[in-house]
Amino acid sequence: MAQYVVDWILLGCFYAAIGLGFSLIWGIMNIVNLAQGSLVILGAYVAYWSYTLLHLNPFLGILVAMVVVFCIGYAIQYVIINRVIRAPILVTFMLTFGLDLLISNVLQAVFTGGYRAINTPYSGAAVNVLGAHIPLLNVAVAAIAVALTALLSLFLSRTRLGNAILAVGMDREASQLMGIGIANTYALTFGIGAALAGAAGGMLAMTLQFSPIFTGQYTLFAFVIVALGGLGTPWAALAGGMIFAFAEVFGPLLPGVGFGLDTAIAFAVLVLVLILRPNGLLGKPFYS
Amino acid sequence: MARQTANREPVADADAAPAPRENREWQWSLGIGVVILALIGTVPLLGDQSVLSLWTFILMYCVLAQGWNFIGGFAGRAAFGNVAFFGIGAYTVSLLLLQNKPFWLGLTLAPIIAGLFAFLLGLPVLRLRGHYFAIATLGIAEALGEIVQAKNIGAPAGEISLTPPDLNFKVSNALFFYGFLVLSLLTLLGTTWLTRTRFGYALVAIRENEQAAESLGIATYWYKVSAFVFSAVPTAIAGGLFAYWQLSFDPVGEGGAFDVTISVAMILMTFAGGAGTIVGPILGAIIIEYLDQYTSIAFPTFHGPLLGLLIILVTIFLPQGLVRLIQELQRNPAGVKQSYPMRVKQGVRRVTRFILSNGI
Repeated sequence: MAQYVVDWILLGCFYAAIGLGFSLIWGIMNIVNLAQGSLVILGAYVAYWSYTLLHLNPFLGILVAMVVVFCIGYAIQYVIINRVIRAPILVTFMLTFGLDLLISNVLQAVFTGGYRAINTPYSGAAVNVLGAHIPLLNVAVAAIAVALTALLSLFLSRTRLGNAILAVGMDREASQLMGIGIANTYALTFGIGAALAGAAGGMLAMTLQFSPIFTGQYTLFAFVIVALGGLGTPWAALAGGMIFAFAEVFGPLLPGVGFGLDTAIAFAVLVLVLILRPNGLLGKPFYS
Repeated sequence: MARQTANREPVADADAAPAPRENREWQWSLGIGVVILALIGTVPLLGDQSVLSLWTFILMYCVLAQGWNFIGGFAGRAAFGNVAFFGIGAYTVSLLLLQNKPFWLGLTLAPIIAGLFAFLLGLPVLRLRGHYFAIATLGIAEALGEIVQAKNIGAPAGEISLTPPDLNFKVSNALFFYGFLVLSLLTLLGTTWLTRTRFGYALVAIRENEQAAESLGIATYWYKVSAFVFSAVPTAIAGGLFAYWQLSFDPVGEGGAFDVTISVAMILMTFAGGAGTIVGPILGAIIIEYLDQYTSIAFPTFHGPLLGLLIILVTIFLPQGLVRLIQELQRNPAGVKQSYPMRVKQGVRRVTRFILSNGI
């Protein structure tokens, strides 16, 4: 049992990292970014190659992944999504699905669909506490995820730029009148959301295997996590990640469920929560 | 307050809005649709099996896009999981065929089961708004595929393989082609009927402003559920025809009966042609599916990225669809007689403004 609890907490923090960027983009711009999973995998590749080719420390690789994916995200929003930002939601939905298809297929064409992972000499390091096997790398990743959540929260509430992002999310026209450049702020928001996805990708590469075929799955997870937690604050993404990881770890133990139904479990939980609490479990209707 | 701002539909200024519908418009649209389908109907005369297969796929997508048009185009709901009905149709027919039941029985039961499913599913999910509805429907389609695969429905891992019908394959391919053609025609008639009835007006009212529609006494919830059932029925029949035509298929993955790409294709085609219009979905299905099949043969490696690029280009430049662009081009807002080049010039300017009206 202790093992399941450890798995749950570590997985929950990692899931929070997956949901964090998604929640920011959704909360501020009302865009459900279906390309989030592709950005995660893209980040994983950046981290992987910076370890394999440049022999960078994988923790530094997370930072590299964040920078690279930030630039790509900024460009995507500035050049493409800003053009349809006022269209009905289905248009941005389709657009980001197209982006997802484009990115994941290009990744698959360039890097093939094979499974990869970063294997360091210390990848297997672990301690045993109360009979539970605790992999240290996963603990480090979970700590980074929580730190990123805290940093995002501080950034939004304490810095001028963060406040500008929140203001744009609250009222586009009014913040424009206050002298905030909308196009640039949106692009920064998407860039930061993408950078968080890149960080999640770096963590993914360190702790699990990845391949371009997983893009859809991580987008889905991001959505479920954010819908579970609600859009209120970065901490809601952490809460959502914990709840979702709880369902994923303990769900298959229920009689008659079994393994291999990850997506079905995710959606069963999601539909239940949406029907009972449409704003998420902790959620406020707006990001603030 | 903030939510409202973020959710607001694009505010098209008065002269960028589509022209008010003239009474004869639906007759023109229906006529054009019937002529297009009649022209497609001559394809089997060419006798080329690969061309026939291409156009059978196009007709199948004509049905799927028109089916999606009911819930997505008219009622304006972001339904992302209509492939679930397609899969239900395909598996209903397959499971009955595997038990040596006749094909017509499966084809009759498929729309009934899918319609019931749409009704029962619609009751909870149509209470959800915006993105939540989109993802809930998407998720149900994905989960259904996963359940079929994990629980080995029909065959191990749900990988269906049927015995072919007891006919010459050329004859049976032609029959499936005409089956899809008749279904497209019926759906076209259904769409036209919808634009002329109270039911259709109610759906458009819901799309434009749900609260206003509710306050006018329209039972919006039940209309949405009905539209959902309406879109499930032709989709399920198409799924049934697809199953017996293709004979073998998987539940998930590329070409699978629950492949989410099929949902995306329906939406993309309807958008490209014109959501909520009569011929739009047919035009979109022909153009997009033709391009898709062409690129998958000409550039197999780049097929996926090209499809993604196509989606991006359509959503950026054609979110209102070809039909609306043509209407916009033809419209004469001033109501005065102009020389032909002048009309074209002004039309092009209106269209450009129309396309750019969504940006920041």
